[in-house]
Amino acid sequence: MPKLSMKQRYSVLTRDLDWEPSYVDEEELFPHATFEGIKIHDWSKWEDPFRLTVDSYYKYQAEKDRRLYAVLDSFAQSQGHLSLSDASYLNAMKLFLQGVTPLEYQAHRHFAYLGRHLKGGGPRFAAICQSIDELRHAQTEIHTLSGYNKHYSGFHGFSRMHDRVWYLSVPKSFFDDAVSAGPFEFLTAISFSFEYLLTNLLFVPFMSGASFNGDLPTMTFGFSAQSDESRHMTLGLESIKFMLEQDEGNVPIVQDWIDKWFWRSYRVTALVASMMDYQLPRRVMSWKEAFELYFEQQMLEGLFPDLSYYGINPPRHVQQAVDEKDLLSHQVYWTLFSFGFAAGFTTSIPHDDHLEWLSANYPDTFDNLYRPQWEKARRIREGGGRFFFQGLPQLCQTCQIPMIFTEPGSPTVIAQRWSEHRGEKFNFCSDGCKWIFDREPEKYVQAWMPVHQIYQGNCGGPTVPEVLAWYGLEEGDGGEYEGSVDQRNWQHWHEAQLSEVASR
Amino acid sequence: MSVRAIAPYDFPSSSRQELYGDDQLVHVLWEGNMMFCSAATFRAPREMSWGDFKAQMVDPWAASDPDYDPRCPGGWRVDGVEVSPRPDQTLGGLGVGHKSLITFRI
Amino acid sequence: MTAAADPVTQPPDNPSNNNVGVELQDSEESRKVIEAIVADNPAATLSHRPGLVRVSVPGRLVVRRETVEGLLGRPWETHEFQMCIVTYYGHIGEWDEDEIVIAWDHSS
Repeated sequence: MPKLSMKQRYSVLTRDLDWEPSYVDEEELFPHATFEGIKIHDWSKWEDPFRLTVDSYYKYQAEKDRRLYAVLDSFAQSQGHLSLSDASYLNAMKLFLQGVTPLEYQAHRHFAYLGRHLKGGGPRFAAICQSIDELRHAQTEIHTLSGYNKHYSGFHGFSRMHDRVWYLSVPKSFFDDAVSAGPFEFLTAISFSFEYLLTNLLFVPFMSGASFNGDLPTMTFGFSAQSDESRHMTLGLESIKFMLEQDEGNVPIVQDWIDKWFWRSYRVTALVASMMDYQLPRRVMSWKEAFELYFEQQMLEGLFPDLSYYGINPPRHVQQAVDEKDLLSHQVYWTLFSFGFAAGFTTSIPHDDHLEWLSANYPDTFDNLYRPQWEKARRIREGGGRFFFQGLPQLCQTCQIPMIFTEPGSPTVIAQRWSEHRGEKFNFCSDGCKWIFDREPEKYVQAWMPVHQIYQGNCGGPTVPEVLAWYGLEEGDGGEYEGSVDQRNWQHWHEAQLSEVASR
Repeated sequence: MSVRAIAPYDFPSSSRQELYGDDQLVHVLWEGNMMFCSAATFRAPREMSWGDFKAQMVDPWAASDPDYDPRCPGGWRVDGVEVSPRPDQTLGGLGVGHKSLITFRI
Repeated sequence: MTAAADPVTQPPDNPSNNNVGVELQDSEESRKVIEAIVADNPAATLSHRPGLVRVSVPGRLVVRRETVEGLLGRPWETHEFQMCIVTYYGHIGEWDEDEIVIAWDHSS
């Protein structure tokens, strides 16, 4: 048999396996394909540049897993956790496991749904591959980080925490919003806005950070997952172009979704900003630098001029994201520090060299706006205390982040926006979040707002210890890093190592 | 605009006032103090007096900042409207509704 | 805490606003792929970050199977590019048995 070209193989192994329904009509077979208003005239025009076929998919995925498991074994066998930059580095991984890994599982489920409900054979196959990828990501992330659970706090019970803990309602509700949309909006939300526009901001600094802080297993699973991510980004871009090319009437719908989902996704990445600038003992690049490179340069200067051909504009409210790049990580980490008593990771005042790094990377904002907070927190600590926000925060009804963001141009004035719906007041952190609510108030009035739920008595009881018990948090999971269980163990292990060396 | 859905789409708010009985959620923001990353949220009876609300809820929270002096707050506003609250006034009487915002400065 | 060594300051990408690029794992195998890309795309600039190499090219980036095979000294199918790619920016315009092309579609 002559060898088929890649194009032929792709055609035979994906498109040719599709069929025309005979005993049910198309509307009955694909009941979710039209209600969003997207018009598709010819599904065969869908492009899959990867030309991935099922045999090569399995071949390469198996190889990726083999490489990862070899690394996990050797790291565990060599007590690799002791060569991390510092135990506090793992706070970033705890946040990742609690906040992001469950989203991979959600994505797995929902791409399986797309694999059922998209009408074309090409996109259905791409969605099935991605569904399997996302399951692999969830499993390998859990498996990789479980190695640390033996030695460090905060890694247990991540799944329960994801469903219950206040700051994790931010990523959880983001994904709930996406999976409760139709198939085309989901593609625009997750494949395009989250994965194409912003995934680099999430994963690339994260993996580079793992590499730089001695976390070989995380770096390896990151690379392993990210190699799939390139395919996911492609699905995101192709799906947008496909919708735009199929019918001019799709353009305003897609634009509206890009406007919504850019802002939703951007708000979720706020947690990444604080991780990059504050949670890594050895820092690779600042949030600001990553934002300029991966978003402003690659997307605003590269992608959007390309999409303007179809009449697509840069996302509404994008300017505010650009304006916030000097503020975001500082505002978010201060919040995590302030509510550290209710978190599944520890926080602390940055050391002197870290403060200098922040000054150097944020010359326009750090010394005048944020350094004074840390200096005051330090004075409180010197007096034997620890600064905490002794109360519950006001939350944004859309993104569910505490309303910590400031007025454009006034970095000391907390922004307050609100709307009224059926006689009830709803509060928002920004014009972007208010705009999203106002488009679909029926959706967001249902939000499970952690603070409101605590006050309704739905979270274990009225006191902080009761709520923390309901969250599943244990001694050592949260609070201050200095003096924590993790820090004490870390010092003990390293002193033991040193004295062993000395005694030889 | 409203939600495009495959079936009727109408759900009650999960934070509506009736879920709190005679109480309501009240937000309080200390303007210009960057130690507080956001406003705070309290659950308080609509009929609670201003004096009790301030002493039992606002003061302990604001004391997270050790420099807070309970005698100093001023410039009170409720949803942007200036007010001069007296201790015996109720929150409801001051115009504080469910999820209203009270701000002050020092 | 160990004192943090600053990562080497990296040169910026080409001063062009229609760059496309890829980031590859900094590994033995990708080193040859990177060499091949540099050979086939003379305008490429490289920058390094922990664990990563970023290749950026104005306008259009091509990865040719033959060049990679020549440098690796063994057969290499273009699907194998998935094993070293971490991310890319641009649009994948072509991916067949001979080459992979990344370019923006509609902007010059």
